[in-house]
Amino acid sequence: MATTLTRRQLHDLYYFLRLNRRVDEQLTNFYRQGKVVGGVYSGTGQEAISVGTAYALEPEDFVGPMIRNVGTLLVRGYKPRDLFLQYMARKDGPTGGRDANTHFGDVGRGVIAPISMLGEGVNVMAGIALAARLRKEKRVAVTYVGDGAMSTGPCHEGMNFAAVQKLPLLIIAENNGWAYSTPTEKQMAVRDLAVRGKAYGIPAVIVDGNDILKVYQATRAAAARARQGRGPQMIECKTMRMKGHAEHDAANYVPKKTLEEWKKKDPILRFEKYLTSKRLMTAKEKAQIEARLDEEIRADAEFAEASPFPPPEGAARSVWA
Amino acid sequence: MPVMTFLEAIRQGIWEEMERDPSVFLLGEDIGAYGGAFKVSAGMLEKFGEDRVIDTPISESAIVGAAVGAALAGMRPVAEMQFMDFITCGFDQIVNVAAKIHYRWGPAVPMVVRGPSGAGVHGGPYHSQSNEMWFVHTPGLKVVVPATAYDAKGLIKSSIRDDNPVIFFEHKLLYRRIKEDVPEEDYVVPLGKARIAREGTDIAVITYGAMVWTALEAAEALAKEGISLEVVDLRTLLPYDEQAVLESVRKCNKVILLHEDTRTGGMAGELAALIASQAFEDLDGPIVRVTSPDTPVPFSPPLEEFFLPNAQKVAEAARKLAAY
Amino acid sequence: MPTNVVMPQMGESIAEGTVTRWMKKVGERVERDEPLFEISTDKVDAEIPSPAAGVLAKILVQENETVAVNTVVAVIDGEGAAVAAPAPAEAGRDDIKAEAPKAAAFAETPRRAVLAPAREPGEKVRSSPLVRRIAREHNVDLAQVAGTGLGGRISKKDIYAYLEHAPQTSGASPAPAAAPAVTMPAQAPARAPVAKKMVFTGPTNVVPMTPMRNQIAEHMLASRRTSAHVSTVFEVELTRVYNLRAQQAAEFERRNGLKLSYTPFFVRAAVEAIKEFPIVNSSVDGTNIVYKRDVNIGVAVALETGLIVPVIKNADEKNFLGIARAVQDLAERARSKRLSVEDVERGTFTITNPGIFGSLFGTPIIHQPQVAILGVGTIEKRPVVRDDAIAIRPMVYLMLSFDHRIIDGAVADQFMAAIKSHLENWEEPVL
Repeated sequence: MATTLTRRQLHDLYYFLRLNRRVDEQLTNFYRQGKVVGGVYSGTGQEAISVGTAYALEPEDFVGPMIRNVGTLLVRGYKPRDLFLQYMARKDGPTGGRDANTHFGDVGRGVIAPISMLGEGVNVMAGIALAARLRKEKRVAVTYVGDGAMSTGPCHEGMNFAAVQKLPLLIIAENNGWAYSTPTEKQMAVRDLAVRGKAYGIPAVIVDGNDILKVYQATRAAAARARQGRGPQMIECKTMRMKGHAEHDAANYVPKKTLEEWKKKDPILRFEKYLTSKRLMTAKEKAQIEARLDEEIRADAEFAEASPFPPPEGAARSVWA
Repeated sequence: MPVMTFLEAIRQGIWEEMERDPSVFLLGEDIGAYGGAFKVSAGMLEKFGEDRVIDTPISESAIVGAAVGAALAGMRPVAEMQFMDFITCGFDQIVNVAAKIHYRWGPAVPMVVRGPSGAGVHGGPYHSQSNEMWFVHTPGLKVVVPATAYDAKGLIKSSIRDDNPVIFFEHKLLYRRIKEDVPEEDYVVPLGKARIAREGTDIAVITYGAMVWTALEAAEALAKEGISLEVVDLRTLLPYDEQAVLESVRKCNKVILLHEDTRTGGMAGELAALIASQAFEDLDGPIVRVTSPDTPVPFSPPLEEFFLPNAQKVAEAARKLAAY
Repeated sequence: MPTNVVMPQMGESIAEGTVTRWMKKVGERVERDEPLFEISTDKVDAEIPSPAAGVLAKILVQENETVAVNTVVAVIDGEGAAVAAPAPAEAGRDDIKAEAPKAAAFAETPRRAVLAPAREPGEKVRSSPLVRRIAREHNVDLAQVAGTGLGGRISKKDIYAYLEHAPQTSGASPAPAAAPAVTMPAQAPARAPVAKKMVFTGPTNVVPMTPMRNQIAEHMLASRRTSAHVSTVFEVELTRVYNLRAQQAAEFERRNGLKLSYTPFFVRAAVEAIKEFPIVNSSVDGTNIVYKRDVNIGVAVALETGLIVPVIKNADEKNFLGIARAVQDLAERARSKRLSVEDVERGTFTITNPGIFGSLFGTPIIHQPQVAILGVGTIEKRPVVRDDAIAIRPMVYLMLSFDHRIIDGAVADQFMAAIKSHLENWEEPVL
């Protein structure tokens, strides 16, 4: 397909896709080595959505990722070490051991931390969008919801509120087929999440979530419309969760055949094939990117493992601002 | 100094903060053209415009959630719950999102969730609750319950300026029944500081909200019998003024803990534990609680009257304790 | 049957309403639910339908009058007959009837009379944690105390009544704070009990306190409640100071234009002692001790209307003459009421001088938030023993009240010994 992205931007996308996958793989290793505190929630198979959406935004935009959106965090400037430290509950992690996994954020980077209760983020991101409108800032707030989260009441309150208030809110609905062990047909009686956006008067499109260029372009277009004051926009990204809910879950409830079919649609392999077939990335360039990833992952893993645990008494501090 | 109702004092406090700070804005149900179910925001839409006085759908989760997001983006939202009973519908946003953000990942969440609470107006089980303790038990929040018009204005201003999520309970019985001189100028009442509503020597009555007036009424009646009640108005429940509580107990040596909220898990239990651990050897009698019973708030006037503490019930408890 | 028409409650927080218009005249017929009058409240304006059919017999609230909700505003008579006066509006639910004869009787129970316990041998002594603490502090056997509480329980007033009258505790004051032998738990600073109000029944003149008097009263009580007051008294020989004054007072006055009084000597001595024992120049803040870097000495000045304590700032940086000037200047301005607020602020230690009126010594109250106050008794020649002979020497009693929360007796006495030594061996030239 045609693209307006430069060669360097395409390489960036490829780098972030691979970085996302490599971080997940390293976390799996740490988990199996007993170095992770708690579970590991992989985004394998969904990297194109995390990376493609985040890469399409402007620096002043805000994102409210979910637990699997490691790629979003990496594009926003977080380093692999931040994820490693978080998962290992270390002192130097973004929350200093106060919360786990991707539960971290930074207003300065436009990243709002998720909470475990699904759907609530839609309202918070609507509030970010509301503040942008009140202050006349051309800023878009991006909320990520899954097929499971869209069954919650708060999600619907937030979508409706944003629609009524015409807020610059971009809803990325990731339909990965499964919420823990519950398939989408037990979450909802309709086929597409997109119809829910339409029900509230929110323009919604459906894209192949494993095609990073399509995800990128849909996000660029939707963000532009939101920025122009045309109210909230929704993109449903069809994809597949390729691992269990977490590392502890073998996901035996997912039919093997389904997984094999989706494996052929792996977003990274597809993009790699596209780049090489269109001569947009040479074998040498690919090897260079891989070498860079090797070094980053190695250095950050070492750094994280050497970081101390937080001092216990710190637990009692900073309850109030 | 103009005489103002409790409600007008709150309105003026919010009004002044909106004039002072462009990042302060209001959102809630029916607060715009209608001025709010109790008219707290009457006139504000005309003055500040619909960007700063936002009528919302009936979506408490969206109201509180949007307030959280706006606060993270540098605003100081004041969200109205039409009745504090409905705060349950936005509960997750308050206790799991707003309360924990600063502790988890650092940013301040300067926002206020305010609205009418309390019984005595025959509002029934869903328009009468005193549900402050749900929030007192949530680290990261501040919980404020004013009793006087002066404090209502000073405390709402402090709450708006505070960098934390503040849950602000306005007893609806006080809205138009309490009228006082309230200074028109800018002043604040600090959060976390109690007030001695009446000095006394025999029994300390520690209370807050509308029950402050009940305690004062009982104190007036008992003074004629030679029993002197000291009335402590906590004003803020989280964090509460431990020092003021202990000082009053050490002075009077007997204590009644009074609240309109139901008994089990109420503020009185917390205060009793504090007093028993920090002032045990200052006690000259048992710690006494006067509260509502552990039931929902009933609707019919005689049922509600049975349910609520009143000055007679306080006086009765005080007489028994004085004789102990 | 007559029907009362009341001011309705148009909203849960509404307390009152105004009748804006009557739509019927007295004597006119009105149907049930037919508009009868209009009201205005904080929340709404509304037309109020009649609660019954009949003749409007009486209008009790006129147009533009504001009344509380549930007030009867009119009466409708179904038969058109004369109407009985309407029942008064229902009393508020919280009204207390002054009907507590039992409790009143209790309040008057004479407690002084019961000093002997009416307890069977072996019967359990019932008291309270507070009573047990007071008993411990005053070595009281609770079995000896009569209880007037429920079931013979010994209450706070019982043990105070006992302490007031019991012969074996004559040395101890009933106020627990005044017993320095016991170290108070830091968490529970004892409070002086507030006395039951006694009223004199003979002829009197009642004069309200001046604001200054009132402030002093509050300040003094607050100080007693705050600090664990303990006092210590030292006798000091002033021969050297006395002789110095005798020889150099005239010259001092000629050179400097001010009298050579005793006060600067005591200020200098106190400053030197504070340098050795800085805790005397501190304050208590919660569980912290706040050492002040400045030494600002307050000198109490008695006025006709009360007492004021101007402060010599940075007294440790002044020489003798500087202190003497400051003392005189502040005292003069105090008496002529020309002190500024600044003059009485930031004191870190206070000296008071009850001796000028002849007092041998007293037990001054600490000037909060300071932790000690030095009192100077009257200076006079007294017979003292020197080398086993009786000698006549100028003597003074110096007393220190100090806050036992942070200053122990040993420290206080060493501080006083330093002052004593400085005065008795005075070396600093005054000219």
